[in-house]
Amino acid sequence: MTHEFLNANVVEIKDLWKKFQICQDKTNSLKERIIFWGRQRTEEFWALRNISLAVPKGKTIGLIGRNGSGKSTLLKIISRILYPTQGEVRVRGRLSTLLELGAGFHPDFTGRENIYLNASILGFTKKEIKERLNEIIEFAELGDFIDNPVRNYSSGMYMRLGFAVAVHVDPDILLIDEVLSVGDLAFQEKCLARIQDMQKQGKTIILVTHSPKQVEDLCELAVWLDQGGARLQGPAQEVAQAYKEFISSA
Amino acid sequence: MGQQIKQIYLYREMLKNLVAKELRARYKGSVLGFFWTFFNPLLMLIVYSVVFSFVMRVQTKNYAMFLFVALLPWNYFATSVLQGAASLVQNGSLIKKIYFPREILPFTVVLTNLINYLLSLFILIPALLIFKVDLTLALIAFPAILIIETLLVIALTFLVAIANVYFRDLEHIMGVLMTAWFFLTPVLYPIDVVPPKAKFIFGLNPVTPIIEAYRNIFYDGKWPQWDVLGYLTVGLLILVIISLVVFGRFQKTVAEEI
Repeated sequence: MTHEFLNANVVEIKDLWKKFQICQDKTNSLKERIIFWGRQRTEEFWALRNISLAVPKGKTIGLIGRNGSGKSTLLKIISRILYPTQGEVRVRGRLSTLLELGAGFHPDFTGRENIYLNASILGFTKKEIKERLNEIIEFAELGDFIDNPVRNYSSGMYMRLGFAVAVHVDPDILLIDEVLSVGDLAFQEKCLARIQDMQKQGKTIILVTHSPKQVEDLCELAVWLDQGGARLQGPAQEVAQAYKEFISSA
Repeated sequence: MGQQIKQIYLYREMLKNLVAKELRARYKGSVLGFFWTFFNPLLMLIVYSVVFSFVMRVQTKNYAMFLFVALLPWNYFATSVLQGAASLVQNGSLIKKIYFPREILPFTVVLTNLINYLLSLFILIPALLIFKVDLTLALIAFPAILIIETLLVIALTFLVAIANVYFRDLEHIMGVLMTAWFFLTPVLYPIDVVPPKAKFIFGLNPVTPIIEAYRNIFYDGKWPQWDVLGYLTVGLLILVIISLVVFGRFQKTVAEEI
């Protein structure tokens, strides 16, 4: 992908490397750190190798690959949960990450209280949350349950509320990590519809998936990650096709 | 560091919600609910008054009050540091899944305990009046002393919070350490009883001048030693900057270490 038209790119990644230190026996106590000073057996593991990527504004890009290929690590680095070992990541605009639905919910609080709590964790002000409150409640289809503590919710209700908050906080960039595979069919379809809505509104979406079909259906661009490196990147159809062939031949 | 402060400001709503959550969730489901915030210091006061008026008689006049005015700010300090040590590790699942300035978590601990301390003044002031301690104009120095104490609390809470991610047993060491620190700070006894030879060591303890200042304004009815507090403020401001820089440096790998 080219690095021209820099202003049109909302996410830019340049020569990104990410290393994890894997300890054989994780020593986190003071005593062990002193005793085994400098003698810890750590293995280096490169989760991402030399990734460069530019995501133009308003496009949907799919990150595809097998388990452990580095897709989620890349997503976490873009969302600033992890920091790169080397390289640069630049993000323009507000970002919302769907790594796990309902992360940060407090079980004793009602659905309504949790909307405020959750949306504020995503970085939104009270006014912004208030404006979207009704829409969120409606989308989550919780009815009167909205004023019950979320510990009484079924797992489906819990996820619906989590998804509703994350997509209604009106991010410029939405990062999604395989959350589309949860929930019942009706809910999945609703999520997909919402994502297509957001695409029409010109939002940028980065989607992690291991399903080539989702890449074909939803994405315009795609990156196929393999053992931390970008094996192929380009138009979604092309990448999805190559990935499908690879999977069926393996 | 400017970037850090800006990020905390951008996430002020989260800070507010987490503090509200802490204040409410602590007593959620209990019969007296939020009133426990007041009952805790009240019960503490009753126990100390009874013990030191009837059981163990101390020379110091009005010892229960002498102790109470120092114990409340000590608790603000000690509870913040102890809870702060656990704050990042406890919220590991959140840290791994959502970006937010990690400073928010120890900051929540500080603010929650600050508010609890302020609420306990609703018990302290009436108690002082009941025990006939003269309240003077010196009380207007309270906000200044509170700010100085809060600088210390922020710096230490941030440092132990980030250190505990890398050295998990710090959380447990802190329990013992804070008990020792408590006895080395003139909370239970007046600073005058410290032998002159040991005074130097006590002078190094930053909590001592803070506790002394609170005791000056609440119990002795006189102004605190402004010169001492002035030096302390300069030192603490430097410490706060150091703690923010250290926190900012090490928070990058927190999500991996937790």
